Amino acid sequence: MTSYLSLVTKYLSAHKKKTRLVVLSVAISVALITGIFSMLDVFQRFEKMQMIHDYGNYHILIKDATKEEKEIISSRIDVRVSGEWIFFRNGSLNGKECRVDAIDESIAPNMRVDLLEGKYPVAENEMMLEEWAAENLKLKADDTLKLIFSDNTAKLFVLSGICSDYSNTKAEDEPAALLSVAGANAVNAEKTTRLYIEFKNGVNVNKAQKDIQSSLHLTDDRIGRNEYLLAVMGQSSADKATELYMTGGILFCIVLIAGVMMIYNTFNISVMERVQQFGLLRCIGASQPQIKKLVRREGLQIALRAIPIGLLAGMLITLFCTALLKFYNKNFFGEIPLFQFSIGGIVAGIGVGFLTVLIASFVPAKKAAKVSPVNAVTGSNDLKISKKKKQGLLTRSFHVETAMGINNAVVKKKSLLLMSYSIAISIVMFLGFQVFIDFLNTSIKTSKPYTPDITLTSEKGLSDDLYSTLRDVNGTKAVYGRMFSYVNATFDASRLTDSYKESMGGIPTKDNGQFAPREKSWLISYDRNQLNWANMDLLEGELSEEKLNKQNGIIAVARNLRNNITTETTSFQLGDKVFIETPNGTKEMTIMGILRSVPFNDSVLSMTTFITTEKLFTELTDEESYKAIDIQLQKSDQEDAFNQIKSLLNSSVTVYDARQKNAESNQTFFTMAVFIYGFVLVIALISILNIINTMNTSVASKTRYLGVMRAIGMSSAQLYKMVLVEAATYSLSGCLIGCVAGIALQKTLVASFLSSYHIVWKFPGAQIGLILLMILVITAISVISPLKRIKKQGVSEAIGSL
Amino acid sequence: MDILTAKNLCKTYGAGETMVDALKNVSFSIAKGEFVAIVGPSGSGKSTLLNLLGALDAPTSGKVYLDGKDIFTIKEKELSVFRRRNIGFIFQAYNLVPELNVEENIILPLLLDYRKPDKKYLDELLGILGLTERKHHLPNQLSGGQQQRVAIGRALATKPAIILADEPTGNLDTKNSREVINLMKLSVEKYNQTLVMITHNQSFASFADRILNVEDGVVTELGGENR
Repeated sequence: MTSYLSLVTKYLSAHKKKTRLVVLSVAISVALITGIFSMLDVFQRFEKMQMIHDYGNYHILIKDATKEEKEIISSRIDVRVSGEWIFFRNGSLNGKECRVDAIDESIAPNMRVDLLEGKYPVAENEMMLEEWAAENLKLKADDTLKLIFSDNTAKLFVLSGICSDYSNTKAEDEPAALLSVAGANAVNAEKTTRLYIEFKNGVNVNKAQKDIQSSLHLTDDRIGRNEYLLAVMGQSSADKATELYMTGGILFCIVLIAGVMMIYNTFNISVMERVQQFGLLRCIGASQPQIKKLVRREGLQIALRAIPIGLLAGMLITLFCTALLKFYNKNFFGEIPLFQFSIGGIVAGIGVGFLTVLIASFVPAKKAAKVSPVNAVTGSNDLKISKKKKQGLLTRSFHVETAMGINNAVVKKKSLLLMSYSIAISIVMFLGFQVFIDFLNTSIKTSKPYTPDITLTSEKGLSDDLYSTLRDVNGTKAVYGRMFSYVNATFDASRLTDSYKESMGGIPTKDNGQFAPREKSWLISYDRNQLNWANMDLLEGELSEEKLNKQNGIIAVARNLRNNITTETTSFQLGDKVFIETPNGTKEMTIMGILRSVPFNDSVLSMTTFITTEKLFTELTDEESYKAIDIQLQKSDQEDAFNQIKSLLNSSVTVYDARQKNAESNQTFFTMAVFIYGFVLVIALISILNIINTMNTSVASKTRYLGVMRAIGMSSAQLYKMVLVEAATYSLSGCLIGCVAGIALQKTLVASFLSSYHIVWKFPGAQIGLILLMILVITAISVISPLKRIKKQGVSEAIGSL
Repeated sequence: MDILTAKNLCKTYGAGETMVDALKNVSFSIAKGEFVAIVGPSGSGKSTLLNLLGALDAPTSGKVYLDGKDIFTIKEKELSVFRRRNIGFIFQAYNLVPELNVEENIILPLLLDYRKPDKKYLDELLGILGLTERKHHLPNQLSGGQQQRVAIGRALATKPAIILADEPTGNLDTKNSREVINLMKLSVEKYNQTLVMITHNQSFASFADRILNVEDGVVTELGGENR
């Protein structure tokens, strides 16, 4: 021993178990911090890919750009690529309705238009089709086809190439005809053009946009921004995104604080346990600065051992998330390397780890240095002397071991607060994030139990024979039919939303308060199963087939898709009357339920959507055969089943294949969910480890005390109960604060952000139940190992341990 | 009538070269109502003996009968119940529960046994120990002597068959020590309790009915009965 500081190394290696525990908990905190930072980093990369996939790889667009503007933009040094997309109104292709577009070859890859075979259309008479559409129309490269534009001019084109499928067009059975830009310019039909711009990496999009706008004198309404992508890149200026950043920032700080608190807590406990040792050193002549130096040196040594382990573990957490996403979607995320090194994460882990240990060792070092040598050696330092006398209320209302357990927790106010808050934070975050998950679940149309993979429709109706044959097809999971029709419906004019009235150019109210409908309404029939499924989206009322039949009930739908935009045209209330024109005169129906949305949409513009039972539908429309049949397929051998189904159909039946679209929405949801749950998990881990750690040290520091309790006759069961009650006091008080605050947060979040989506807040009974269960399990787990250690030790050993 | 009998008690710590015989073939018995002092130099095995008598530790071989029961055959589960009903401990470092007040500390063994404390007995005990005024104080608000008196109270609370005291005056000054010893002697006589006490102090040993001397793990009777 050359210096008194080698005491640190000696101490650490003499108390291997204790050292390991401290190193472990510091390592875990570092892992969590590294994990959070890396996850955020990787999440951003994944989400950016997702957004590029969903919304296109462009930052801003300019509407109706002139040739001169185009040239100026493309010659800018900060623009990576720019290109035009020309939109026409729908036309028809060999008799089939289709979209008509033209995209510059330069920007095509950015918009996910990938050439599969042939060549990109360049000449005026060249065009390109999606693979599914070419197959559907039985066309191949170099075939000639006739395209009729919206102004009824017809033109012949040569199919120069085939490109990959777009999920939307496929699901709507509406192919997109992609012309060359030259070809598009040669057509006189009504069109709009947009110039899409992707900036180079690292360009400040907002600044570049301003620059372009001022140099080209572009007004704001000519600029479009890809807010989704910009939001992920952290370059969005939209209010919503800023709010999101703020929320993210706050959540992030909470995680950071929780991690820092855990390191601090561990280190503090480990130093405070040895007050006596430090007192002893003071007795034999150590100065206060020397003690401080000792403690700090210990911190440093622990940090040096813990941080590398933590970094490695943190990277593993991220690896797990990456692997999950890659595994879930090989095609899409396949190119992303499995090992993602987030420099930010590693730097943060090291930085935060060292800093925290340093700070965490300063405070206990100060405390240790302040220890009076006498107090330390006699051991009378445990409690501050309180002036209050104790009346001993607890022992009167509880069994003594319970009372003492509670007391043990309550007496240590600081650790009670620390523990409760750390648990509360995780619960609040869990509950808060749950809102986002719910929101994603409802807003992104992920596959719900009733989402069809394939929909068959026919104007003439689909026969019952076909329906039953389809049910027997190998590989179908569920087959269910819908009838639908467009009816004239009217009701109290005040139930129409202002925006709808405006879009219709004003709708006059008649004397009886009703109005003459400008558009028909979509009437859909549901069978019992479909009504049950719809319960998920029920906002008000109930969905009972019997009651609907008995009381002439119909169900209103709050949100409808018009032109692919979700809109609200009506605001019904339960009990409102709706008058529907039927072949047998007007019929009065009563609104008995309101749904958030329906899982399908139609290209026909309608005023609103109503749902009723099959029986009432037939009464209202005199129609009996299904107009649409929805089919869900089994997971495996989908193509076989699909081909088999197709072979059963005649030409009057249109097939809508929504599988790709469903898969894409699911994946958008999944990408978000992996990271959101990853976050929650990490935060939960922090508090779980905090409980376990605190219980471990709490029990360890009371070895002697517990020994005495056993000596005066406390049984093992009582001992166990006492320690358990102490742990439960921590966790339940945290649980209480967390649940109350979490529920309040949920309610505010739902009320302020999601009310416009018709998401209503419900008491999260199941979530609270889950939380309680988890907390109880964790509490029980947290006391197992310390108690085991205590039991192993003889009573006399424990008492004599000081 | 013998309340406590030790038969051929042996206790060995460690193994091989580091093996230490803490107790070697110890046999003696103590009658009800006796006050026995155990004396001997440091490391002689006094505390080991006391721990064995109190079933806090298991012997390498040998038996201890308390109230006719072989305490080492009792299962761990019942042992704690047996201990809180039949044995009272007084430690050198008092070992009071710092969060509980004087009264609670005294009745703690009763509470652990889910029994209602006898109010009259408790008040009497507090009176004898001179703690009536301080029954709502916390241990750290008391002097060492007072704390040890609380510990005596705790040992007497369940009216156990035997009280084991390990240097109860070790941390106290002479005045307080004398007070504590007197109190112990008084309560033993008043409640006809049996007391086994380790002490270093020869003059306190002289208060006892009998003195056992422990040296190198061997127990011999010094015989203080007639003094």
